[in-house]
Amino acid sequence: MKQEKTTAPAEAPASPAPSKAQQGKVETPGKAQPVDLIDYAKLDLGVEKVDERISPSETNVFDK
Amino acid sequence: MTIPRDFPVSLAFPPQGHFTQPYLALPCLKAWLETGGFRDVEQLDLSIEAYDHFLSPSYLERAATRVRERLPLAEFEERDELPYRDMAAFRAAAETAVSAAEVARRVEQAKRIVRGPESFDPDLYIPAMRTLYQGLRIVSAAHFPASLTPHNFTTGYSIDRSSEVLRATLDGDQNPFLAFFQNQVMPRLLARRPRVLGLSVIYGSQLIPALTLGRMVKAALPECHITAGGGFLAYIGEKLMNAAGVEECLDSIIFHEGEAPLLALCEALRAGHDLADVGSLTWFEGRGAERRTRVNPPAHPVCLEDAPAPNFDGLPLDKYFSSELALPYDLNRGCYFGECTFCTLPTVIGPGYRTRSATRIVDHVVELKQRYQCSHFSFVTDCMPPGMIADLPQELIAREADIKWWCDARIERKAYDEGGARLLYESGCRKLLFGFETATPRLLKMMKKGQSLDAVSAVARSCNDAGISVTFYCMVGFPSETREEARATLQFLRDMAGIVREVSLQTFHIDEVAQTYREPEKFGIQILDDEGADLQLYHDYTSESGMTQEEAAEMFEELMAGMREFLPLFAGDNILYFMQKSHYFLHLARGTTPDEFARQCFERAERSMPAGAHGSLAVRAGVRTQALPFDYQAVLETLASPLAQAARPDFLTGRFVTSAEDQAAARLAPLGREARVLVYHGAQAEFMTLRPDGLMVLEALRAAGNLAGLQAGIDSEGPGGRGARLALDNFAGDLHRLGLVEMGSPN
Repeated sequence: MKQEKTTAPAEAPASPAPSKAQQGKVETPGKAQPVDLIDYAKLDLGVEKVDERISPSETNVFDK
Repeated sequence: MTIPRDFPVSLAFPPQGHFTQPYLALPCLKAWLETGGFRDVEQLDLSIEAYDHFLSPSYLERAATRVRERLPLAEFEERDELPYRDMAAFRAAAETAVSAAEVARRVEQAKRIVRGPESFDPDLYIPAMRTLYQGLRIVSAAHFPASLTPHNFTTGYSIDRSSEVLRATLDGDQNPFLAFFQNQVMPRLLARRPRVLGLSVIYGSQLIPALTLGRMVKAALPECHITAGGGFLAYIGEKLMNAAGVEECLDSIIFHEGEAPLLALCEALRAGHDLADVGSLTWFEGRGAERRTRVNPPAHPVCLEDAPAPNFDGLPLDKYFSSELALPYDLNRGCYFGECTFCTLPTVIGPGYRTRSATRIVDHVVELKQRYQCSHFSFVTDCMPPGMIADLPQELIAREADIKWWCDARIERKAYDEGGARLLYESGCRKLLFGFETATPRLLKMMKKGQSLDAVSAVARSCNDAGISVTFYCMVGFPSETREEARATLQFLRDMAGIVREVSLQTFHIDEVAQTYREPEKFGIQILDDEGADLQLYHDYTSESGMTQEEAAEMFEELMAGMREFLPLFAGDNILYFMQKSHYFLHLARGTTPDEFARQCFERAERSMPAGAHGSLAVRAGVRTQALPFDYQAVLETLASPLAQAARPDFLTGRFVTSAEDQAAARLAPLGREARVLVYHGAQAEFMTLRPDGLMVLEALRAAGNLAGLQAGIDSEGPGGRGARLALDNFAGDLHRLGLVEMGSPN
């Protein structure tokens, strides 16, 4: 299946580290880390859905 | 008398206005002019044309390029912190960077869905609507800080200052309509060379675009008389006509009802007569230093019974964002009740109340139905008088009109009794929107609403029992209202859940025409003036008791959050059905009952997405990512704070609250660097955020082809192997639940 993306895979850190250590720097796009070197248990893998930003306060009462 | 086709008239509805159906003003004017002998009358809905033009792949691609040039994301990457003042720009740049390609790729499909039968499938409709909203955010970002939505258009210029309004008409950076008019509209007008251009300005959001077009036409076609009218100008037109520089955009304004004055204006211009006899016209006499603003006496209102049916010919009826055409039609003008202290309707339409007979209404409805193959109508009325509530359904039934319709209504207990409501349903009425306002009797009395809560409850129940969907208009922050009273209103609405399906909530505003402005002492308020706001219509005020304006704005959010808990149409992304009111109506019109629709909404909000970490999970097509130096979610939270909201142009009034931007900048803390990844899910048109670690794993998942490929790289029996597998599977399960990955064929 063809996949699309806007960034290349993030560069892998030399040694997997908790995300706190990575904060404060923008990830430089680079090569994906070989999968057998990734220590998933030490990664910060939170995913947050952005709440619907279409605000009902911004409707016009005269809208149809 | 028939005027030869040597006097072309163009009537334009400037952006930004209705998204789902034509506005009624131009079709009424066209019909009246034609009855008066002017046969060459063109009508242009430039609002819907602009939406259609902007929401196209090529425009969105150009807009994205413009965003990259005007708001380069790279500029944020070297910063140590993000101050409040830059957050909106950061958000616009980030969202555009991650979403533009997907939105451009999907926008035509989204338009097709919303305009076609697929729109009745919420799983297609909601992502399609989100795609259109996101498309408009990209258009807005290209003209930052302008904001164009399906409901509004604002810029960084305040519309209550003529100097700012006029500057905005020349600012192509913020005003997307400059290029739109220049490239898409002016060539047509130059070819047609109208002798009169009429601009219909109903909303404040249309003021800058209308004057932008007026300025262009005035420069290019000096022989064309440019007049404007409509609800918004009925309020501020007099001030506008006294503002320096407006003569470069307009020649005249027509106040109140436009039919008779516009016809008289066309006749006078064609005959070369003085304009002094054109009723309800304010116009410029002379030029330059000699210029005088002349105010003519009001014209006599037209006899509505004799007015022709509106003529929608020439409007791009296939471009409205609606699966089936719904046409507006006005039953009456003015309000038979006419007492409410907050209402300023007479200012818009002119004094008095006039109605058409039920027979004439049905004549027109049948004519329009045949002419436009349209079975859906939104009846334009502030309220039907009790006699009409009985007569109109009987006539529609007797004549077998076979239409579905909806309209605004006033609580009239006897008229909307069980039998009355049943008759309304039988005649095709599927939705009624009542002015409820508040559940506090003390405030109802101050408002002179003339309705009791018992009557409110009885009317809503009988309509609901008959199968008619009930919407309440509700107000928060009426002078002296307390928090407790507002919460009691929320409780009343909660108790009516299952009977009242939607609530159109607004914060109270004072405009210069309402009784609350003219007699503030009766309401215990003191009006505040804004010096320099020469087009000011709305005013801030202080109240001797009850909530302040700021507290009322906060209470609005509290009430809205409360209603999203118990109104199924307001839950989650079902809110889109409320935002596009006729889209919900079309479901009702095709036979879905309010109960069935509410159940669908509830089930959709409660539906849990498939989860689990099956080995065949693969990243879905159209999932795009963008690394960011700051926490996008924190930016959204800051921008949603009351301080930040107050710093934006007010939605209803288009005003900027004095010093609100400075206060927000002083009190809202800047954000430190937090690396995050913004994800745009093209198929769902939704945003999500990850940590950089999440992006690394997402990309590893892409590279591996599916989850099994990653799982295979973990030595589950080795040290830490079980923990690693669990973390990976949990992450994959989260991605699955959010739809970023999907099950595929197992390898």
